Amino acid sequence: MKNKFLFLLVLGVLTVGCEDELTIFPEDSLSEPTFFKTADDFEQAVNGAYVPLRQINNQAKPYLAEMHSDNTYYARNTAFGATEQQEDIADFAIPSDNGITANNWVGQQYVLDYQIIARANQILATIDDAEFDTSAKNNLKGQALFLRAYAYLELVQFFGSVPLHLVPVAGREDAALPLSSEEEIYVQIIADAGEAAQLLPPKSEQEAGRVTSGAARTVLANAYIVQKNWAGAETQLRAIIDSNEYTLMPIYADAFSGTTDNKNNMESVFEVQYKEGAEGLNGSFLYNFLPRPLTADEVGLITGTSNPQPLNGEGNNIPTPDIIAAYEPGDLRLEASIQYITASESFWRDGVYPIIKKYVEPHALNGNTGMNWPVYRYSEVLLFMAEALEEQGKSGEAATFLNEVRTRAGLGDASGDLLDAIYRERRVELAFENKRWFDLVRTGRAVEVITAYGNRIKATPNEYYYPEGVEPRANAFSNISLRYALPAAESSLNPNF
Amino acid sequence: MKKIYTSLKTLCVVFALLLWLPAHAQDKTITGTITSADDSLGLPGVNVVEKGTTNGVVTDFDGKYSISVSGDNATLVFTYVGFAMQEVPVNGKTQIDISMAEDATALDEVVLVGYGTQIKRQVTGAVQTIDAQELADIPVSQVTQKLQGKLAGVQINQTTGKPGQGMSVRIRGQLSVSGGSDPLYVVDGFPITGGIGALNPDEIQDISVLKDAASTSLYGSRAANGVVLITTKTGVPGETNISFNTSTGIQQVPQRGRIDMMDAVEFAQFKKEYYTDQGDPVPEIFQDPSQYEGKTNDWYDALLRTAPVQNYNLTITSNKEKLRSSMVAGFFKQDGVVINSDYRRYSLRANMDYLISDKIRIGLNVAPSYIKDNTPRTDGERGTGILFNALHTWPIMPIYKPDGSLTEFNRFPAETGNIFSYANWITSAKQIVNETKDVNLLTNAFLEYEPIEGLIIKTSLNAELYNSRYELFSPTTATSSINVPIPTDSRAVWEDTNDFSWLNENLATYTKSFGDHNFSLLGGFTFQKFRRDFNRVQASNFADDRLPTIQGAANIDRNGTYDRVQEWSLVSFLSRLTYNYKGRYLFTASVRSDGSSRFGSENRWGTFPSVSAGWIISDEGFMESVEPVSLLKIRASYGVTGNNNIGNYTQYALIDNTVNAAFGNDLAPGSAVTSLANPNLGWETTKQFDAGIDVSLFNDRVSFLYDYYTKNTTNLLYNVQVPQESGFSNFSDNIGEIHFWGHEFALNTINTTGKFRWTTNANISFNRNEVVALAEGIDRVYGRFHITKVGEPFGQFYGHLSDGVYLNQQDLDSSPQVPGRSTVGSIKLLDLNGDGIITNGGDDDDRAIMGSPFPDFTYGITNTIKYGNFDFSVIGTGSQGNQLLVRHLYSTANLDGVFNLVNDVKYRFRSVENPGRGFYGTTVGGGNVTGIERDWINDRFIADASYFNIRNITLGYTLDGVDRFFKSARIYGSIQNVYIFTKYWGGPNPEISVQPDGTGDGGNLSQGVDISGYPVPRIFSVGLNLNF
Repeated sequence: MKNKFLFLLVLGVLTVGCEDELTIFPEDSLSEPTFFKTADDFEQAVNGAYVPLRQINNQAKPYLAEMHSDNTYYARNTAFGATEQQEDIADFAIPSDNGITANNWVGQQYVLDYQIIARANQILATIDDAEFDTSAKNNLKGQALFLRAYAYLELVQFFGSVPLHLVPVAGREDAALPLSSEEEIYVQIIADAGEAAQLLPPKSEQEAGRVTSGAARTVLANAYIVQKNWAGAETQLRAIIDSNEYTLMPIYADAFSGTTDNKNNMESVFEVQYKEGAEGLNGSFLYNFLPRPLTADEVGLITGTSNPQPLNGEGNNIPTPDIIAAYEPGDLRLEASIQYITASESFWRDGVYPIIKKYVEPHALNGNTGMNWPVYRYSEVLLFMAEALEEQGKSGEAATFLNEVRTRAGLGDASGDLLDAIYRERRVELAFENKRWFDLVRTGRAVEVITAYGNRIKATPNEYYYPEGVEPRANAFSNISLRYALPAAESSLNPNF
Repeated sequence: MKKIYTSLKTLCVVFALLLWLPAHAQDKTITGTITSADDSLGLPGVNVVEKGTTNGVVTDFDGKYSISVSGDNATLVFTYVGFAMQEVPVNGKTQIDISMAEDATALDEVVLVGYGTQIKRQVTGAVQTIDAQELADIPVSQVTQKLQGKLAGVQINQTTGKPGQGMSVRIRGQLSVSGGSDPLYVVDGFPITGGIGALNPDEIQDISVLKDAASTSLYGSRAANGVVLITTKTGVPGETNISFNTSTGIQQVPQRGRIDMMDAVEFAQFKKEYYTDQGDPVPEIFQDPSQYEGKTNDWYDALLRTAPVQNYNLTITSNKEKLRSSMVAGFFKQDGVVINSDYRRYSLRANMDYLISDKIRIGLNVAPSYIKDNTPRTDGERGTGILFNALHTWPIMPIYKPDGSLTEFNRFPAETGNIFSYANWITSAKQIVNETKDVNLLTNAFLEYEPIEGLIIKTSLNAELYNSRYELFSPTTATSSINVPIPTDSRAVWEDTNDFSWLNENLATYTKSFGDHNFSLLGGFTFQKFRRDFNRVQASNFADDRLPTIQGAANIDRNGTYDRVQEWSLVSFLSRLTYNYKGRYLFTASVRSDGSSRFGSENRWGTFPSVSAGWIISDEGFMESVEPVSLLKIRASYGVTGNNNIGNYTQYALIDNTVNAAFGNDLAPGSAVTSLANPNLGWETTKQFDAGIDVSLFNDRVSFLYDYYTKNTTNLLYNVQVPQESGFSNFSDNIGEIHFWGHEFALNTINTTGKFRWTTNANISFNRNEVVALAEGIDRVYGRFHITKVGEPFGQFYGHLSDGVYLNQQDLDSSPQVPGRSTVGSIKLLDLNGDGIITNGGDDDDRAIMGSPFPDFTYGITNTIKYGNFDFSVIGTGSQGNQLLVRHLYSTANLDGVFNLVNDVKYRFRSVENPGRGFYGTTVGGGNVTGIERDWINDRFIADASYFNIRNITLGYTLDGVDRFFKSARIYGSIQNVYIFTKYWGGPNPEISVQPDGTGDGGNLSQGVDISGYPVPRIFSVGLNLNF
């Protein structure tokens, strides 16, 4: 009998203990109910929201915003296939069907921007209820708002109407939203950036590399400028200029970060932060912007690493003859922006190509760089200001801001039509910084400029890095549209487009 | 004959002992000797039971027995597996000697079912059993390899030839979108958490495969994929047996079936034509292809070798009085047919149980094993698997230097079109360490107690310990990637896995008969827990290739270095009622309730009921006159089972705390929510109906089995893709429905008896499935080359349909084109959406279903002949109507001349006048033109993979005149994978399915992709069986 009792006892204990035994939280990962409580949690979450910017600027955005313009092109390597994804972008030949495209880079840009937005939404949904120091909270909340505004500004400029997510997605039901109009998106960008500008500290009081009130005002001004709200832009830009937080670096080449030094310098308004090393925080965009094939030695000459590896495939974001010609004689920026390298195994001419010099900095290991990506520099604040003023007819003041930028470049005062001069100045001052395509679109010059550029490539392909006798593809420059088509993978999951 | 039934006989004893009852008043003792009618020798192990009671004994080694019975009116029942049952009334006798005759079908065989055993005749579910004896001669390491072709309704594929790996087992075509599809393996009652690849097949006594829901539902939330019950060896009652089995063989890869690649001359000729057609000067090395005559470097062949395989097993069983024990010691050693691959398994098993008193029995099984496995990185995509790399390396690239040593790496100048450098793959195979060392310990302990007559309470504690160490070390002198010059960076990965799983089961069985009503009731509860601790370290740049230690590495790669903990628990309650009336009308009902830590908090418990019924028509009076029919049984079952293979924490929104940022030069720890929570997440539910018929005719010379099943799996566990505008790519949910149905036939015939005894076992299975629904708003799920779409079978090959090439300008102008890319001579794809152009991507492009990895039917046939001392068997297996996607063609038919090519590229389009065979297109135009053909998946990649494989032929001879030393001795020779009849041209293995990273089979959503894998060898072996 004793045994039976023991047996029943064991049975009873096990049954009662069931629910506890069946609740197992992962030991190697935190889960949502326990997170988003402390200042530290929110700081980590904000840090996580910055992360997709690294991938965006390493490849997708330079292709979509710079190589998708007359500033850069690809260096055709006829020995190598599977290059359509990039070529389609540079050639304005992205296959699209009813506003939908399967292009990888288009999809990647879209997905990564929404990753930032989702992470920011998660923070913004919970931070007000968390209890910790107000100034720390404001700073973190401001960063989240900035990142959301910035991501939507990229999306709206690339795609136009996109879904507007402002709260965290809980499940499958609320994952797909209808497209919101560009106007609605801009209203949100302006609200978020405006609030961020109030919440964030100025640069001098912020940890270097994080966004600041100045950065938030720049995003706000940028949004106003796209919307041609010149007065709104002027207000924000003037606040930045008057804050005395920023000044131009005396030498143009010093505006750009090294692999470890000169990061977030006094000209820097917002940089995407990379870190050299084995932590996985590094960039490699320098490598993506080299013509190929390159031997290991040729790569080593450019990068100075101890273990250079050969590069194959096809090089992207190679400066065009057009951008090189756009520099005025005597412009110190030409030499700071473009250098020439030799690709001895190339089939094109003698294999001496121009490359983007801004991002060439010596570093330790192959493919692992720490250079930051310049998103907003103070010189752009000045040029934005010049443009906003000129558009309001305040030419005199506009010229002073423009000439401040020109002076550093070793040039005299601008001549001719001031607005054209500002546009030209933006092109060379901000060359290879992902500005060109957006500028062409917002100023209404895209179709005209790109059509002419396309005709030049088709007429003289050898000038544009095609080996002798190789012609541009038949569909090149067949699809010059002002907005990118939406990603096909998203379209198949969102019933609204 | 006797030996064949040894194991089943033992099971009978187990059954008898389970019913073993306390002695009650018995007043008469009967003794006697049982002999075989065949040879008049004593029959050991015969069950002698007093009819209507559970009082029984077993005959000793000489066939003698002694039993106390209740009186002169008693009747003794003599049963022995494989022999006809006899009933003899006592009628005052004190000695009863009988002679038993063989009965071919052994009607009272007992089979293992979930949580118990049942008389085979009375089984109402779809259960198939295999006696391990009939698998003994097949010289392979895994039991699943031996089962190929033996089981109706079970498709077993060898997806790669890597020693000790690569078996895919699917019962009744069951599959899932993302949950696992492997059956549940239960070893001696313990649902093990790993596979059974580590189990020495010689430890196995028999195997029951449970296919329908009535048989499996007692395994509840883990049963939907079917259950394989394995019993390990126990002794023959009354005997001590020592047997030693060994075999040794050589393995080689047959020439036939290898991919027909270009030799050096053909390749140089292709390159010459490539440049000529393009209008470019031909590089010097291709100007005279004939210079390469006899100078082909066959990289693929250089990686292969003829390799030995050996197997040794010593088995000792003893079953005397109260102690029953067995011990199996095994050593299996297989060198692979790819150089530097080898597999060793050392295994030991000790099983014992002991009758402490007449009411208590205890038992303990302990089975440790150690496996050491080194296989170069053979399988996987270009740049991952060295076999793929070797296949497409230029045949003019030298393997050896003039001095006979291996070349370091090969790269020709860029103007030759050689855009990648190639390491020496022989060096890669030899130098890259890719080693796994596994220690496995499986233990079962039980205590069985019978407090009152008919009630047996059993409690057991089972534990599984698994410890695995994986080491990858790639020195500076070797790589499995392409385009990496040597020397390169050395790198290493270490992985340690420690699993501990334990299970406590508490079961009570009560058996009782009232007149013709026979009941058995089972009730119990079980608790199982699993924990895995895993850690991984990835490092690179070692100071010295000879010292791949962590401290010797210059870099520890943070992204590849981490810890993981995986845990789950399962609490279950189960019960079953078995009832029969007169042993003729059969009924079983069961239910299991599972609570699992894997399920969401709102959906923690699942209930899995089943019912089944059977009618043995042949036992009815009206059938007695139908002489030829010895068994006619119809049966039907219905039940609900689950699949809980959903990962352990999928219900939670997890925070990834490695999403780090940098500010300035400082790392800033970052976190992000990386998955969406689903508190309603639960198991996959399968509802299955099965109807079957069992027929035996002509004194059991012919027996036939047929089963029809239909099942619907709902609540499929799936990471439903969500639009990434949400910030997430998927959401773990229970969605959709798949309908499966099929027919299974098995026919066993004894064609001749007597001295020349010939038997045939054949089976054929037809499995079908159709996707009924996916998630709301989602009617399709894309794999890399597949689509799963509502209204179609699961996981179909998806891509463009082609119609040759554009033959001329007129053809091009009048046909839909890929804008900017199609040219004369390029692949002509069909415009399926009718928009006038060819597009690739999105739901409304021009792709369609191109083929299916699922066969129309699979079949197996085994013929066994015994003539005098000779025995001979042939096993054949086949599959009809399935296709494979020849993925490696994206490199091996890359028209840009970058890689070596399949020979058929010779017959490509070269000009309007010389259009070739319309399969491969023009090389002119570079990637912009040729890329469509290789990058846009199309029907040229699809190949018929139907096959019939003569899987094994064995010829054995049992030696006479050895009685002084042995009880018996037998020698045999066997050939494994004798010949494959197939039209498949994509590679040597029509069963292949490998993932791009070279691990595992393709999984459910991407089955049947051939990216070139480890070939399955042909094995010639000889063996010896000795019984002492």
